[in-house]
Amino acid sequence: MNIAAGTKLEPEIIIDDLTVVFPSNNGGDPIKALKNINLEIGQGEFISLVGPSGCGKTTLLRTIADLQNPTTGSISIRGLTPKQIRMEKKFGIVFQSPVLYDWRTVRRNVCMPMEIKGLPKKHRTARVTEMLEMVGLYKFGKQYPHELSGGMQQRVGIARALAIDPEILLMDEPFSALDEFTKEKLHEDLLNIWRQTKKTIVFVTHNIQEAVFLSDRVVVLSPHPGRVSAVIDVNIPRPRALSIKRSAEFNALVAEVRSSFEGV
Amino acid sequence: MKKIKEIVNKNSFATTVYPILFGVLIVVLWQTQILHKILGADTFTLPMPSRIFDIILANTDSIWTNVVATLIVAIGGLIVGSALGFMLGVLATFAPKWGAGGLTVIAAFNAIPIIAIAPIANNLTKDLSDNPEIRSMIAKMIVVTLTCMVPMSINVNRGMTELKPFSLDLMKSYAAENRTVFFKLRLPNSVPYIFTALRVSVPVCVISALVSEYFAEFIIGVGRQIRENIVLAQYATAWAYITVACAIGIILYIILLIAEGITLKGRK
Repeated sequence: MNIAAGTKLEPEIIIDDLTVVFPSNNGGDPIKALKNINLEIGQGEFISLVGPSGCGKTTLLRTIADLQNPTTGSISIRGLTPKQIRMEKKFGIVFQSPVLYDWRTVRRNVCMPMEIKGLPKKHRTARVTEMLEMVGLYKFGKQYPHELSGGMQQRVGIARALAIDPEILLMDEPFSALDEFTKEKLHEDLLNIWRQTKKTIVFVTHNIQEAVFLSDRVVVLSPHPGRVSAVIDVNIPRPRALSIKRSAEFNALVAEVRSSFEGV
Repeated sequence: MKKIKEIVNKNSFATTVYPILFGVLIVVLWQTQILHKILGADTFTLPMPSRIFDIILANTDSIWTNVVATLIVAIGGLIVGSALGFMLGVLATFAPKWGAGGLTVIAAFNAIPIIAIAPIANNLTKDLSDNPEIRSMIAKMIVVTLTCMVPMSINVNRGMTELKPFSLDLMKSYAAENRTVFFKLRLPNSVPYIFTALRVSVPVCVISALVSEYFAEFIIGVGRQIRENIVLAQYATAWAYITVACAIGIILYIILLIAEGITLKGRK
């Protein structure tokens, strides 16, 4: 199928005929979470995976991250397997919840991946400061996570994910628990961070507007079994201001994504 | 000092002021003998607070000797029992197949009354030393160890396994080794659970030390003095030791709460 078109950029992640099957718990048929996924993600690209619940978008993200094994097919990242990339600590992941350790201050949470990587202390301290300044939380470094709002906590999560300078940033519905205003602020922040860091970002969401606003391309997945039903280019120029959400172009793209949802 | 004050001040009304007011009320009723009328007791079996206090002041040396003996047993058993319980909890985490069943068996130890364990412990230790004071102390410590081990093992196991969603995934995404996951995630996650266990086992270590003294071969300790004096119908002296026993329990618990407040500062 031609839907699985490649990227115009240098491909960084190549997903080749990926199928993931979960064994059934209660003796029924095994569940096909993903079926024959073909997708190329370019270097420095911001790509979103959207789709209804059960379409396998989180499974796809987890398989890229080597938190889930493929049943058949393969994923190659810069010519290496996801496991090799994971062992090299080149992934930064932001989960649905911030997953901050409540016994660590904000600074020490951001520092944690660098401790695991064994980076020298001087470097860690400087990097934590840099990361917290980037997400606008420098003043909150000595606070504990529960003293921050949900949006601030998620920003700490982003700072932590970027602390070890990963090659790929994987985000699994990171803003779904936040209110609309916080979400929009974080969208702008994330795009700024992306422009500064030039990371490849794979962003999972069920929010179509969010996907269109943020992404270079939106990949629509359909459920049962999870497969790619459309790949939509978002050619809105950057930097994008929040005001583009009122533009005809933006709304046409949102409608296009939505219609490929409904076509499922 | 300031820190301790802050911790004590927090929730001080509900947890400190009310209990103290209640205690003062009881003492006043007691000293004015209203309590005696309510309970139908006389001042021989229930001596007045002032008399109990006088006896404590007059016998500080011998009371102190017995307090030290009780504290060694209670705190020694608490430390050994908690350490063993901690190890069992960790073991159960890394061998979940055996762990769940193993902890249930260990929990069954808690159902055995101390008065049943104490004679067994005496028997076990009878050849350990020629000195009855030492072998008695070991026997008592075994009892305390067994009772303190259980809450620690169960709570540590929970602390090691009840992790926030995705926190293991986060560790895996950084290719963290098991050792790192243990020291950076499981162990710090267990700290509040360790204090939950201690909130149970600190009062229990005092009670089991007192009760195990009843059955010990060597006559020493606050619990044993309560018994000896009741047998001799020296109720006022017995009450002096009961008061001291209460004080030990309360002081150890306050120390625990302060330690908990300092350690868990900043956590939710």
